[in-house]
This record gives sequence, structure tokens and C-alpha cells, in this order.
Amino acid sequence: MHINIKREIRESSTGKAGIIILVIMIMLALLAPLIAPCNPYHQSPMSLLPPSFSHWLGMNHVGQDIWSRLLYGARTSLMVGFGTGALATLIGTAAGISAALIDGLYERIMMRVIDTLIIIPMIIVVILLSAYIRPGVITLILILSFLSWQGGARVIRAQTLSLKEKGHIAAARTFGASRLYIAWRHIVPDLGPILLVDFIYNVRRAIFLEAGLAFLGISDPNMVSWGTMMRDALSYSYLDAWRWWLIPPGIALSLTIVGLTFIGHAAEPVIEPRFREVGIA
Amino acid sequence: MFNKHNISIYAIAFIFILMLNFILPRMMPGDPVMAIYGNEALVAMTPELKAQLVERFALDQSLWQQFVAYFSGLFRGELGYSYYFNAPAVSVILGRLPWTLLLVGTALLISTGLGIVLGIESGWRRGSKTDRTLLSTLMSLNGFPDFFLGIILLIGFGVTLGIFPLSGALTPYSGLSGIALMMDILKHLFLPVGALTLAYLGGSYLLTRNTMITVIKEPYMLTAKAKGLSQRRIEYHHAGRNALLPVITRTGIWVGKIFTGALFLELVFAYPGIGYLTYEALMARDYPIIQGVFLVVAISVLLANFLVDLFYSRLDPRVRHAY
Repeated sequence: MHINIKREIRESSTGKAGIIILVIMIMLALLAPLIAPCNPYHQSPMSLLPPSFSHWLGMNHVGQDIWSRLLYGARTSLMVGFGTGALATLIGTAAGISAALIDGLYERIMMRVIDTLIIIPMIIVVILLSAYIRPGVITLILILSFLSWQGGARVIRAQTLSLKEKGHIAAARTFGASRLYIAWRHIVPDLGPILLVDFIYNVRRAIFLEAGLAFLGISDPNMVSWGTMMRDALSYSYLDAWRWWLIPPGIALSLTIVGLTFIGHAAEPVIEPRFREVGIA
Repeated sequence: MFNKHNISIYAIAFIFILMLNFILPRMMPGDPVMAIYGNEALVAMTPELKAQLVERFALDQSLWQQFVAYFSGLFRGELGYSYYFNAPAVSVILGRLPWTLLLVGTALLISTGLGIVLGIESGWRRGSKTDRTLLSTLMSLNGFPDFFLGIILLIGFGVTLGIFPLSGALTPYSGLSGIALMMDILKHLFLPVGALTLAYLGGSYLLTRNTMITVIKEPYMLTAKAKGLSQRRIEYHHAGRNALLPVITRTGIWVGKIFTGALFLELVFAYPGIGYLTYEALMARDYPIIQGVFLVVAISVLLANFLVDLFYSRLDPRVRHAY
């Protein structure tokens, strides 16, 4: 497991492309309040205006500045993505490591819960929950996290089981280290790359689902989201407006997910060194 | 034959889904009749009807009795009455299901077949220009959400070029039959299937390519070469066939996806399957349909996964001892 994940990603050209795309998106999201020319919520009578010097991407059907909404949409998307990624990976790690280190009833119950959640189609559960709750950013992060940690937990448990048998952990145990100490000091650092890949997949799925739910119109209507923009714009597809209203949020969303896919792919050799790219370096 | 562990997790999942469907509307603030029946019922609501509904769901009784009433209704195959579609929820849902199966089934078949061929070609020529172009193109495609791909195809081929119909699954009131009807259905199917195929292609391609890369290093590849077999034969019969197993496994896992795979995309083309039905029901707040779709889809996916599991444990005896 002694492979340098930073080098792995930096040396793959797709990995580099992914990092660049993601950094740009994060910058746009962070700087949104500074660079957005208008308040994304402010409505004006100038509806369905084509792009102009003062409104780069024109105005939408209720006279909101599309470029400003695009910038704030990046905030929603990345907040839901990274929030869910962090929380789901945290839950998955805790569940996976504890199931591997603690035997007996606890392990059996935990594995039952993980296996059950794996066979339940998460997307339809999320849709049902959202239909009733109409989640905003925080609620969405909670719902998505509690429904998407199980896949990672299973992988993490399997890896922990094999790590557990390694010499240095047996040594630590003979010195009287507690399970918590072993988990934190020896297992988590060795799991690093797997956790990163798990995190990236969780972020990716959350971003896709946030946009999808908004596109269906079942998230908090006050949330500025790329999915909502595409949904609103689609109902005006007979106008030319799709060029500056529908395509930009679609491209932004796709680019973000593609960036994450690239990073995930570049990080994969860390788990499976046979896949290291030749010629793509 | 089939181990107890698997049966029990499916049973737990099934109960979880039933509980969710039962508890959620009853936890909502306000009138439970509203939460169960939705906005449309409110228009038709008279004191008599309301009393009838309250009695039907035992809403004035204890939670336990409500659960018994709900469960015995389900057992008789009742999912409630949709006031928006003015029909029992079961018949509305079952009427839409074939369209989704047609759409996603076709897309899964094409994308898996194409993904395998491209994956074999790409893995065989690993590091070459063809491989790099295929890899970066398909990986990017993999990141595009299916509904955005659908929007691009819709605007490109439907709105701008006007070659394909914009929405629906067939031309309404056309009176077509036989071959003409089939052509009409295929024409409506083309763009949504295209979008889904493009969205799924990356997955089967990447997996085939990955296994191909590990397979071509096996000693039997050298043997095949030493035997003087043609390159095509080695590529497809020796390497390709062995690279297929994980892809088949994954396609099995994806069988469940056949019910959920087009939830967002159907909305783009107003394709009258389960996804579009969900959308219509969400817009009308027609909860019997939403709950019914949830139940039918969740249970179909469970059943599909269960059958696939059963099939594998017969196919590959190692799986049976995995627990």
C-alpha cells in the first residue's frame, strides 16, 4: 500500500485535467458573491432577455440574471457534493473499520445492515423522501449520506480485515494498544487511498443526484441549483434561450462530474496497480 | 441450495421498504388524508368521501391498526386510488411499466454489447492512440448526466434538425397498426435510447478494458501466440472471452437498474414510462401514485437482484460459500 497517491494523480494527464476542472469550479463557487454581477434571487421585469454586456447569459423567465445563478449553482452543487462525500465516507469508514475490529453480534448486525442497504435501490428512496420533505442543502446532505455509505463500508471492512493480520498491528496489540488507537493510528492511514476513491465516488453521486432531484422539481424551490435551471429552461426549449440558459448549467454540471471521474480514474492504480496507465503519463 | 443469509437480507429490505412507505405520509404535519391522497383528492373531497377514506385507512384508530389496514390492502394488490388519473394506482403504474422496460432494456443491451467490443479493442491496444482516444472520450461521456445527454440530442436532432419526434412514445390518434406502428414506436424510441446508451456505455467499456488489461498478461495468452493463432482469434476468443465474466456479473447487477435507469431522462422526452409518471405525480402531488411507484419499483429491483443472486450461486459454486 505504499504508493504515493499525490504522485499517481499528478502523473496522469486525465488526473491533472480533473484537478484543474475541479479547482476552477471550487474557485467560481467560493468567489461567487464577489464575481456575480447580480443577486441570484432578485427578480426583475426583464424576463427572457438574450445575453448582453450587463447580463452575460441573459435573463430567465422571471428576470433573474442567469450568469449569477450559474455561479451560485456551483455553490449548491459542490456543497451538497463535498458535504455528502465527507459525511458518507466518515460513516462508511467508522462502520467498516468497527465491523472488522469488533467481532460477534455487533459485526453480524452491522454486516446485515450494510448488505440490506446495498440491495435497496437508493435513488427511488431518495425520490420518495424528497417528494415529502423537499430538502434544502443540509437535509439533502443528510439524506444522501445516510443512504450512500454502505458500498464504501463493505470495501473498507474487507481491507481492514487483511490489514488486521499484518505484523505491525499484531505488534501494537501486544503492546496493549486499544482498538480505537489501532484504528486511528494504524488502519486509517493505511486505508488513505481507498478512502479517497470512496470519497470521490460519493461526491460524484451526490452532485448527480442533487441536480437530478432539482431537475424533477422535488428539492427546496428556494435553492439555486443547476438542475432547477435546466428544468426551467427546458420548458422554453422552443425559444433560442436554450443556448444561454439550458446549455451552460448542463455543461457546468457535466464538467464537474467529468473532473471527478478523471481524478477517480487516476487514483484507481493505487488500489489496483495493474491498471497503471502506460503511455497516458 | 441458496443460503439463509441472503434470504434474510432480502426480507429485511422488503420490510424496510414497506415501513418507509407506511410511516412517511403519516409523519407529515397536517391532515394525513391529505398526505396519503394528495392535492387532487382535495378537490373531490366531500365529508362523506373523507369519512370513507378515514375508515378505509383506519386513520382514526391506533397506528398498529392502521398498519394492519395498510398491509391487508397491499396484500389484496391495492395501492390506492389516484384522483389525478381517475383510476386505481395499480393499473396506472402497470400501464406505464412496459415503456420503461422497452426503453432501458434496449439501451442496456446496446450499451453492454458496444462497450464490450470497444473495451476489448481498447484493452488489446493499451497505450496506443486508439486506446487513448477511446478512453478519454468514453470517460468524459461517463460524466455526462443522462438527462443532459438527452437534452443535447433533443435539441440537436429534434428541435434544430427536426428529424425525430420531440416527445412521447408514439404518435397519438394516428390509427397506425402493424409495421407502421412499429416504425412509429422505433422513431420515438431512437433519441431516448441513444442518450441512455451513451450514458451507460462508459461503464461497461471501462470494466471490459480493465479486465482485458489483466487478462492479456496471463500465461495462456503466450501459449495462444506460440500456437500461431491469428491475432483476431487470440484477441476475441482467448482474451475477450475471459474478460467477459466481470462484465456479465455487472450487467446482472444492473438488471435492477432497468426500473430506475430512466427516471430523469423520461422527463426530457415526456416518454410515458415510470419516470415520467413519477414526475407527473410529483407535480400533481398525487401521493398514491408516488407511493405506488416507490413500492413497485423497489420491490421489482429487490426481486431482480434476488433472482440474479440465485442464478449466480448456481452458475458459480464459489459464490455459495462466500459467507
